[in-house]
Amino acid sequence: MADLDRQIEQLLQCEPISEAQVKQLCSKAREILIEEANVQYVDSPVTICGDVHGQFWDVMELFKVGGMCPDTSYLFMGDFVDRGFYSVETFLLLLAYKVRYPDRITLIRGNHESRQITQVYGFYDECTRKYGTSNVWRYCCEVFDYLALGAIVDGRVFCVHGGLSPNLTTIDGIRAIDRKQEVPHDGPMCDLLWSDPDDIQGWGLSPRGAGFLFGSDIVKSFAHSNDIELIARAHQLAMEGYKLMFDKKIVTVWSAPNYCYRCGNVASILELDDQLRQEYKVFSHAVSDVRSVPAKLPPAEYFL
Amino acid sequence: MDPLGDELTPIAILIDELKSEDVQLRLNAIHRISTIALALGPERARDELIPFLRENVDDEDDEVLLALAEELGKGMEEFVGGRDYGHVLFIPLEHLAVAEETLVRDKATDSIIKIAAILSPSQLEEYYIPMLKRLSQGEWFSSRTSSASLYASAYPRVSPDTQTELRKLFTTLGGDDTPMVRRAVSKWLGPFAKNLSRDHVISDALPLYRKLSQDDQDSVRLLTVEDLITIAQQLGPAEVGSQLLPQLRSSVTDKSWRVRYMVANHFVELAEAVGPVIVRDEMVTAFVQLLKDNEAEVRTAGAGQIPGFAKLIDNRETILAKIIPCVKDLSTDSSQHVRAALANQLSGLAPLLDKEATIENLLPLFLHLLKDEFPDVRLNIISKLEQVNSVIGNELLSQSLLPAIMELAEDKQWRVRQAIIEYIPLLATQLGRTFFDEQLANLCMSWLGDSVYSIREAATINLKKLTEVFGVEWAKVAIVPKVAAMGSHPNYLYRMTTVLCMTTIGPSLTVEVIRDHVLQVLLTLITDPIPNIRFNVAKSLEVMATTINSTPEGRDISEKRIAPAVDNLRRDVDADVRYFANRAFQKAVAMA
Repeated sequence: MADLDRQIEQLLQCEPISEAQVKQLCSKAREILIEEANVQYVDSPVTICGDVHGQFWDVMELFKVGGMCPDTSYLFMGDFVDRGFYSVETFLLLLAYKVRYPDRITLIRGNHESRQITQVYGFYDECTRKYGTSNVWRYCCEVFDYLALGAIVDGRVFCVHGGLSPNLTTIDGIRAIDRKQEVPHDGPMCDLLWSDPDDIQGWGLSPRGAGFLFGSDIVKSFAHSNDIELIARAHQLAMEGYKLMFDKKIVTVWSAPNYCYRCGNVASILELDDQLRQEYKVFSHAVSDVRSVPAKLPPAEYFL
Repeated sequence: MDPLGDELTPIAILIDELKSEDVQLRLNAIHRISTIALALGPERARDELIPFLRENVDDEDDEVLLALAEELGKGMEEFVGGRDYGHVLFIPLEHLAVAEETLVRDKATDSIIKIAAILSPSQLEEYYIPMLKRLSQGEWFSSRTSSASLYASAYPRVSPDTQTELRKLFTTLGGDDTPMVRRAVSKWLGPFAKNLSRDHVISDALPLYRKLSQDDQDSVRLLTVEDLITIAQQLGPAEVGSQLLPQLRSSVTDKSWRVRYMVANHFVELAEAVGPVIVRDEMVTAFVQLLKDNEAEVRTAGAGQIPGFAKLIDNRETILAKIIPCVKDLSTDSSQHVRAALANQLSGLAPLLDKEATIENLLPLFLHLLKDEFPDVRLNIISKLEQVNSVIGNELLSQSLLPAIMELAEDKQWRVRQAIIEYIPLLATQLGRTFFDEQLANLCMSWLGDSVYSIREAATINLKKLTEVFGVEWAKVAIVPKVAAMGSHPNYLYRMTTVLCMTTIGPSLTVEVIRDHVLQVLLTLITDPIPNIRFNVAKSLEVMATTINSTPEGRDISEKRIAPAVDNLRRDVDADVRYFANRAFQKAVAMA
């Protein structure tokens, strides 16, 4: 416990912990995550966050606005890694919090928590650069396979990284998936992590090449049949930090301000109180970003 | 396998790794060259490793070259036979000093300078100087650019004949066709001139400086401002008057704003170097000119030098007649950065004027800047208030201060709100308790309910500091009841503030206040439905127990009231609550 507290202190300074510590942390995390359901039950009050993408100093900004873990309870809806300069520190910090305070923080899987995607969008390279080997990346990927696919707050707010799937009409249907695997290229598990809401009726093909587009009728019938008052999801940049759609039945929460250090957007977190009242806290990117950007950058890749 | 068993092994591994496709492997190999040199022994390191490195510094990856340039300068001589052989390291470094990438060249010349410092004068003459000549006359500009940095440090340690040669070579470099080389000469002329005798400053450095200060390229001219300072320091005021005035004037009025910016930014240093007579006759006018410059960047840099330069003028009438009118203009400048820079410096003028002049001239500007639309301007004024307050006194200031504080306190940027909170304890000390209670107390309480966590946190720390300023009795009446009232807020994040606030101010309170006022608040929140509140109450009670356990009465309270309450929490349904309750229980019982 004291070791873990020290590691958290170190990670909060944006200093990576040793490879041996990562190995141990990841193995403890798997023990905790394996006990969680595909759709993890979470109690209110809780603060819901979207993509953070390795923007460590912006995550610190998020905590400054929302409060520190464990005093404030958090639910992060995936895409912890890739694109930002500090995926390693960001993910390991969240994971260390998860191991230290399993009831105060919930982590669910995003489409970037995958072997294939992280090899293209930066996390793999960052691990090998910072540790000299790919071991840390492998340990983290094993943890990814154990992350829950969704969460439900007080049985009333459904949280998922991407969206819905034509193959799943009930939340119980999600519980039947065997989630402990690499994210497949298609099928219900893929859809939960890849789909987007869109101003259409019914289902549409996704321009992303994975998952689907789904319309307001789909959201309303899913909410009705599962007795849900809100679907919270992430996965898409929202310039204002969040975007409510379809009679406020679904919201996109985005927590990476100035995405990729250049999009100029603000970010937000969604505070649900114990009556599930929603309060969105909007925040901008950290000042320190400018200072701590490494001198030589690999060109960032966008649009996935 | 024993790496020393096969004599070829270390260097073979290095060769292998340096040929790898993977940059990381090549980098790792470079970072191990001292180990490899150690394995080879000094003789083979000189005969095999160094030539090998020389051959292989054609890596296309600058990161690898940079690493090599750095490693060679990190005490590598130790592994090639000590300082007597240190010069062999020049072989690869000379090559790196010609690289295309500036970072690599700079690191290589750094390492060369480091190594040269430990060599004997005869080694310098035999190895360093020939290398310096080769670089200075190299075909590529990169080589000649690097050479400019190598003159200054070696100059004092070589023979007079060589010194003459070096001065000639350096002057030749200053006439190079490539602006990059002339820029390097401008940059290094100052350090070089520092090592010259006075006569040589006049015979060599001065003509070179004059030429460079007239260069076509503004990027060359702007670097000569620092040379001017060094040369002026070397020559002394009298000589500056006869030799440098035309250059001084032309730099101040240069057609490129970047040159004028450099002058403005170094103005105090420059004024110190030229001495009081020239300050009076020339520099005051020049400074006024820069403060009225067309470019905001120049005015910003100038504003930063105002009090420093005013101190050098050392004449109240001149300050009032020349500088103050400019300051007035700057306070209404169209650029917020100029006004922010001025706001930072304005208070520095107050001690140079008397009270009457300050009230007449500076006070209106303070009041004006306190209403600036740009928050940084207002914050800069408030942050320097101490200096002004001592001159113009409380009443006058406090009336105008209040509206500015109120507005900053409600700024929509939370960092602005945080900045003003941090000045509150200072303001409280200066303005006194009555003023505070009437005007600021409510504000300080309202921050406890801010929507941003960091502001709520800053607000609790502020209350702790205020408790230290105004005392426990004041805190008991003014703070504790209001903080306690927030404990019934419907949102747990705000109830949390009550707990955190008690935890923060607890150590500054007395046993009586904790017993009669604080404990009851915490013991009510101990049954809160949200576990986050309950474990923070446990943490808070731990702090209270630690605080009061120094007295017998306190230990009694710990035992009778804190310990049983915490004991209950040890059987909570929530794991985190149990953890923190256990910790608090140990504290409460162990000390009781």
